Amino acid sequence: MKQKNNRNPSVASGKEHPLSILANQAYQAFADMGFEIATGPELESDWYNFYVLNFPKDHPALDMQDTFWIKEPPRLSGTPPKIGGEGNPPRLDKEGVGGGSVLRTHTTTVTTRAIEKAGKEGRLPAAFISVGKVFRNEATDITHEMQFFQIDGAIVGENISLADLKGVLTHFYKKMLGSDVEIEFRPSFFPFTEPSIEVFAKFKGKWLEMMGAGMLHPNVIRNIGLDPKKVQGFAFGGGLDRIAMIKWGIPDVRLFYQGDLRLNQIQ
Amino acid sequence: MKVSYNWLKWYIPNAPSPKKLADVLTCHLAEVESVEKRPDSDVVFDIKILPNRAHDLLSHQGMAREIASLLDIKYVDPTPKYKIPKSHPTKLEIKIDTEKCRRYMGRIVKNVKVGPAPEWVVKHLESIGQRSINNIVDAANLAMFNCGQPIHAFDLNKVKGGIRVRDAEDNERITTLDTKELKLKSSNMVIADSKNILAIAGIKGGKIAEVDSNTKNIILECANFEPVSVRKTAQTLNIFTDARKRFENDLSPELAPYAMRELSALIAEMCSEAIFEDIVDTYPEKQKERKLSFSTARISSILGIKISDREIKNILKRYVFEYVYEKEIFTISVSPMRLDLVLEEDMAEEIARILGYDRIKGNIPKINFEPKANETYTKISWARNKLLSEGYSEVMTYAFADKGEVEVQNSASDKKFLRTNLSDGLKESIKLNHANLPLLGIDKVKVFEIGTVFTKKGEEIRVACGDKKNITEMTLNEFSKSASADAFAQPLGSSLRSATPSQKHTSSAFHMWSLFPFIARDIAVWVPEGVKSSQVYKVIKENTGKLVIKGPDLFDEFSKDGKKSYAFRLVFQSYNRTLTDTEVNEIMNKITEKIKEKGWQVR
Repeated sequence: MKQKNNRNPSVASGKEHPLSILANQAYQAFADMGFEIATGPELESDWYNFYVLNFPKDHPALDMQDTFWIKEPPRLSGTPPKIGGEGNPPRLDKEGVGGGSVLRTHTTTVTTRAIEKAGKEGRLPAAFISVGKVFRNEATDITHEMQFFQIDGAIVGENISLADLKGVLTHFYKKMLGSDVEIEFRPSFFPFTEPSIEVFAKFKGKWLEMMGAGMLHPNVIRNIGLDPKKVQGFAFGGGLDRIAMIKWGIPDVRLFYQGDLRLNQIQ
Repeated sequence: MKVSYNWLKWYIPNAPSPKKLADVLTCHLAEVESVEKRPDSDVVFDIKILPNRAHDLLSHQGMAREIASLLDIKYVDPTPKYKIPKSHPTKLEIKIDTEKCRRYMGRIVKNVKVGPAPEWVVKHLESIGQRSINNIVDAANLAMFNCGQPIHAFDLNKVKGGIRVRDAEDNERITTLDTKELKLKSSNMVIADSKNILAIAGIKGGKIAEVDSNTKNIILECANFEPVSVRKTAQTLNIFTDARKRFENDLSPELAPYAMRELSALIAEMCSEAIFEDIVDTYPEKQKERKLSFSTARISSILGIKISDREIKNILKRYVFEYVYEKEIFTISVSPMRLDLVLEEDMAEEIARILGYDRIKGNIPKINFEPKANETYTKISWARNKLLSEGYSEVMTYAFADKGEVEVQNSASDKKFLRTNLSDGLKESIKLNHANLPLLGIDKVKVFEIGTVFTKKGEEIRVACGDKKNITEMTLNEFSKSASADAFAQPLGSSLRSATPSQKHTSSAFHMWSLFPFIARDIAVWVPEGVKSSQVYKVIKENTGKLVIKGPDLFDEFSKDGKKSYAFRLVFQSYNRTLTDTEVNEIMNKITEKIKEKGWQVR
């Protein structure tokens, strides 16, 4: 019946955060398809967050992602904060833009850095997947948080197409939400992809907006040191929190970050 | 953008039903956010025009042309029907003194009679949420929502000398139409006369040359301004107008003459006595004609579907693109309004969305790539599994803090700094969970977080774990030092599998907790040796009522003098109100009675 004497437990296992459980399931789904995990910095240069991704400066597209810009410390007190993770030095001021740093607004920064590195190491074709925390400067409510997790992936190779994107995402959403899930592409716009699409998944009879995706824009391919005449690829990215909310029926995104153990129900 | 169905039908009389149209648009063009039926039988769509189509689709004509091509239905061109008023020589002078103005068309119209607009104009504007002001202003607005070109009208008699487009001087001032006084900077472009600023170019008109009920003579403006300048100025001044929205998304300067023709026809219709002067067109650098080349093979390779030349030719015909087809290469002349079509990839998108993305069938690519283990991820997984196995539960707390070493420039919240440690967040979490111990059914809170902290030196991933008494925090690298080297040397798949011991997670569902306070009660019962705890459990359980959300949980048992003691805990909580001690006491009294009836004794 009941566990005896749970006031004196021998070490009972702790409970995992639902987003960690989901992140691992997502990683597994992509590992099945030959993706490599990529990680990267949360404090990012505006080059990697925007300009490498073909965001034009002072363009309405920048409004799509309300950004936390970092206040630089006074220059006289020594060196500015280090931007970028180990082995991936910052590339500020490239082509006369940038110099600012931001809390990354998406993890496309991570997959882009990973492909750039793979290209330099002669490891193409390549496939990367990344789950990480991202930040948006907006008022919070049940579906909006200032911090949340994004899952982001990309493949670059010779003949990678939108059909491959559809195959990969179909496999992923079936693993996440069940084998009866269907997915659909609808027109969208992102500066870093062309064509750009919005991915919808049909879950329990309803079409739900899941993530943005598309074929990497030739400018992005060029910005990471590759030749768009020789390689092409796709990228996708969307909220992990949203998948968790849909999958388990969690009603409010803010519950993930309260430190409340009542959240850790998923076994 | 609000789009009226009846308005669209002027141009596409064979449009499908509103519902069908909304579905078609969502699949092939842009998301239809709402479809609203109006009392006057019109239907209004709210369509989220994508930034790359904001050049040509923020208008009813633009939408109608797109729908006509998409569905291959008739488009009725209104231009031949426009009244062309007789034109007279003009003395209007226009001077452009800034590179940020690409074109300025002005036209003097004399002897206008300002008054209410005709009913059909008012109705059209109202259908898309616009208020009617007077016939002249309404004509300008109607023309903008019809063809996409923002238009301005000035009272000629209030203008001193000619029109001059220039940069503002620092600290120059303007009072806008809504009587706000604004201080300008030299980066702001303005429309001025020889003395005053008349308007903030492409954003908002000024009070000085406002068209009012006494206005007799006007200057009409159809101009084109550089998008970045308009956007920056409007951002600094915090002004949102329909004109700004169109200019900051970049419009073709070739749109201006269409708008001027339409506007003139409208005013001629409303004011039959009006005298039109010649249009003055200042257009320093004509928009270049653009060609775009692409091949069917390349488009097919991007999309991953086989497309035929015939399909592409059909699309080009429907969309009225002039083209040449030579050696398997299509070369099209891009319409001046389609500023989005530059690269072969742009055509791939155009063709894919027109054909429909449902044409694409999924395929999992097999690529020659050997994934390597990611060290950071492997360390995080190892640390998480170790702490879970030691009985620590995982939390994720906020990266923002009241104090810190790295500050954000602007924030929607009051926490402007990034955390320098995990311990502070963990402390809060422990406090919160400690208060909920009975709900959680545990007797001690043990939590951990693996996350990034931000200091002057940069960011680093840390691991913190602890309980009410003690929290330890160290870097992920330090923490994972105790791992054996081979823990990190596993190939990707297997390390992942150990991180996800089972896939049973898919079936569990989440139960939201009550936001009202709970009340916990313990009950201890003496029973004769031989009575099982399950028997006592059953009696309690049967009498707890609906307000128990946890328990009865047996938490203590011992024997003494041939008797056995069982202690159970019950937690009461409602989903819609705060419970009172009195009502919980009543339930506990009832349980006590039932236990006594069994001949047992409540301690």
